[in-house]
Amino acid sequence: MTRFAKLFFWFLVLVLLLWQLPWAVNYLLVQSRNTPFTLYSEVLDDFVMIRHTSDKEVEYRDRAGNEYTRRAFDSLLPLFYARQLTADGRFPDSVAGRPVTLREAQIASFIFRSAPKDLNRPAPGLHFLLESMSGRVDLAMPSDAFRLTGRGIEFIDMAANRIDTAKSGRFTRMLLRKGCRFPVRELSGNPSARKEYDEGYLLLDADGGLFHLKMMQGRPYVRAVELPEGLRLRHLFLTEFRSRRTLAFLTDESHRLHVLTMPGYGIRRVEGVTFDPERESMTIVGTLLDWTVCVDGASAERYYAVSADDFSLLDTLSYPLSERRIPGLSFTSSSDRYVKPRFR
Amino acid sequence: MEPVIECRHLTHCYGRRKIYEDLSFDVPRGRILGLLGKNGTGKTTTINILSGYLEPRSGECLIFGENIRTLTPQTRRRIALLIEGHVQYQFMTIEQIERFYAAFYPAWNRDAYYGLMEKLQVAPGQRISRMSCGQRSQVALGLILAQNADLLVLDDFSMGLDPGYRRLFVEYLREFAKAEGKTVFLTSHIIQDMERLIDDCIIMDYGRILVQMPVGDLLRTFRRYSFRCPDDARLPSGEGLYHPAVVRGRGELCSFASPEEVRFRLEEAGIPCEGFTAETLNLEDAFIGLTGKY
Amino acid sequence: MWKALLYKEWIKTRWYLLLALLVTLGFAGYALLKLHRAVALMGAGHIWEVMVTRQAVFIDQMQYVPLLAGLALAAVQYLPEMHRKCLKLTLHLPVPALATLGVMLAFGVAVLAVLFGLGIALLAAGARPVLAPELVGNILHAALPWYLAGVAGYLLGAWTILEPTWKRRILCLLMSVLLLRLFFLAPVPRAYGGFLAVLALLSLCAASLSWLSVVRFMAGRQD
Repeated sequence: MTRFAKLFFWFLVLVLLLWQLPWAVNYLLVQSRNTPFTLYSEVLDDFVMIRHTSDKEVEYRDRAGNEYTRRAFDSLLPLFYARQLTADGRFPDSVAGRPVTLREAQIASFIFRSAPKDLNRPAPGLHFLLESMSGRVDLAMPSDAFRLTGRGIEFIDMAANRIDTAKSGRFTRMLLRKGCRFPVRELSGNPSARKEYDEGYLLLDADGGLFHLKMMQGRPYVRAVELPEGLRLRHLFLTEFRSRRTLAFLTDESHRLHVLTMPGYGIRRVEGVTFDPERESMTIVGTLLDWTVCVDGASAERYYAVSADDFSLLDTLSYPLSERRIPGLSFTSSSDRYVKPRFR
Repeated sequence: MEPVIECRHLTHCYGRRKIYEDLSFDVPRGRILGLLGKNGTGKTTTINILSGYLEPRSGECLIFGENIRTLTPQTRRRIALLIEGHVQYQFMTIEQIERFYAAFYPAWNRDAYYGLMEKLQVAPGQRISRMSCGQRSQVALGLILAQNADLLVLDDFSMGLDPGYRRLFVEYLREFAKAEGKTVFLTSHIIQDMERLIDDCIIMDYGRILVQMPVGDLLRTFRRYSFRCPDDARLPSGEGLYHPAVVRGRGELCSFASPEEVRFRLEEAGIPCEGFTAETLNLEDAFIGLTGKY
Repeated sequence: MWKALLYKEWIKTRWYLLLALLVTLGFAGYALLKLHRAVALMGAGHIWEVMVTRQAVFIDQMQYVPLLAGLALAAVQYLPEMHRKCLKLTLHLPVPALATLGVMLAFGVAVLAVLFGLGIALLAAGARPVLAPELVGNILHAALPWYLAGVAGYLLGAWTILEPTWKRRILCLLMSVLLLRLFFLAPVPRAYGGFLAVLALLSLCAASLSWLSVVRFMAGRQD
């Protein structure tokens, strides 16, 4: 026992040192990342960036290194700064040769974010399906929650804490009739009443088939989405942007990014963009004309400028990341919500 | 008679402070042995090594032929231990603690314990933590006697006891040990009690054993000699003459040597030895004579 | 003999155990009361939504209660042993020292298991009428590492208290604090997954550390 206890003691010492020492050194040494905020300018047809310098000044530049005043910079991103320009009375009639109104610009713009920790996490197991066509202007949270089982969908009345067998049966039958095979692999929705409209959920079934599920006037609406030949989807992100032009962003098993466009459930590849949602975080700043896609990878922060019309690649930019960290043991990570040992 | 305790070549230090080196002694069966020494000579260290709560730097101790570091429970059952300060579980009552210990010792003598407890003016349900220091000591001693062990190791057994109970305990312990052939190894600050109790003594000085012998022999043969002598006389020392000193015209020293021999050695050193007297001593005086006053 | 060893632990801890039972069940009961009140006031729908979308578990106030219960049990059991080195008496009993220590630690772990088992049962039984099994599971999974921290805290506390020297005791304390942090890292319920089993195993292995302290005690280590 003495030998075991001694071994165990030294094992603990080792674990604690591997955990705490690198952490302390990294905490003292590693400075925060300073990649500039970057967007694609439809005026310059190039990336422009805002950088916070070390002496707390703000620099406005383009990729070529030209410096701008704050005011001049606003004009380089007329769609992103549409409200500011309108307030200044400087909002242009047309951008890149295309006539625009403030309202158009506002409706088309969106910001989308995805972080690995939102995917790599214990599944909540319960979801909320809102009524998409209640006839009311405001959305409301439902009085039931649902879970997906190996055999179907189950609605639980929350006040009674009891399964609503009738509703569960209706929805399960509809899903089955549309060809959905349980268990469902992944689903994506934004269960919140604080949005302009509701598109329910997107489901990826046991065979990798894509389904759109929502509730309209209490009845199930299920649409099987036809996938292009050979497309194996991995992750789904229901968007519900104001413009209603997209229903979702999708990634496939080769980490390519696709858009599910509406109306018509068309699937279009976003040219050139690769994105592994389980490892990388992504931000898309969308305007009427183009999207700036920023993927935060392990070795570089990659920027893609993408046409908002046909999702063709306009330009790319990459900031290499040189993180000098001492490897060590840790139990939590910024890229997931699990507690487990990991050495990195 | 085979020894119950055998200590061989014990060496121990605390940090750089050496307590003793190469200390060896035996305690024979059926004897009551007192370990005497001034503060800091290593009495408690010896008791701690003997009770298994201190690993000596080198050397070994055997009790009933077993190494003290690896005593079997069966052998430990034959040893009763009174630890420094008469410590016992303070969270128990007189009854609870008796019930607890009784489960471990097949030869448990319940009557001995309650016999002694009757002399305490405490309720059986009273917790030991609420007792006076002396009462706690009596509980601890009662438990030691009830255990009916073959070897009793008692560290400073008389601490905190009033004179009456001390006398009672000494008589009880001696009678008990002699009647049942128990071996006792003990220390005490009060040497008068030891005289009544112990058969043998080990007197320790810093780092070594001065004498180990039956108390009777010590009291018979160890003498204090005094004689008139000039204040500036150089008294002989060493070789069996302990702590020679001259105070106000009288020389004094202690020795196991006979009066004739001491006188011869003094005269040889040119000390006139007028008014030469020799006296035997009680244990306390003999102890001081051997170890010096300070 | 074994019964007598347990009897001693029982005498030391019985009043504390009553208190610990009242406090741990009290906190769990209070959390449940708050949950039921919230359901009554705001409707089950709102509570379910908060639990699903914001990972609320409604029992955060009892987070450190099992840990404190475990640490206090270690104190109640082992401080009297270290008081004036009473442990010498315990180790002198005619029982192998390892077995004596094992009985003492097993008593503590068993008592905590009963105490925490009751707490978990109360949480499960109390929450089930108003919450779906998934949400009850969230609550229990959030509470499980905390309860385990109670057991680990007890064993690490025993190790620290039984250690005879202060220098080493401070090391024990430092290591214990860091190790116990491991039980309070969950950003969301169910975050521990399979690692909880590993933690449970490590916690039980921590019982062996107390033996190191006892070995050092028997060797007479001092400051």
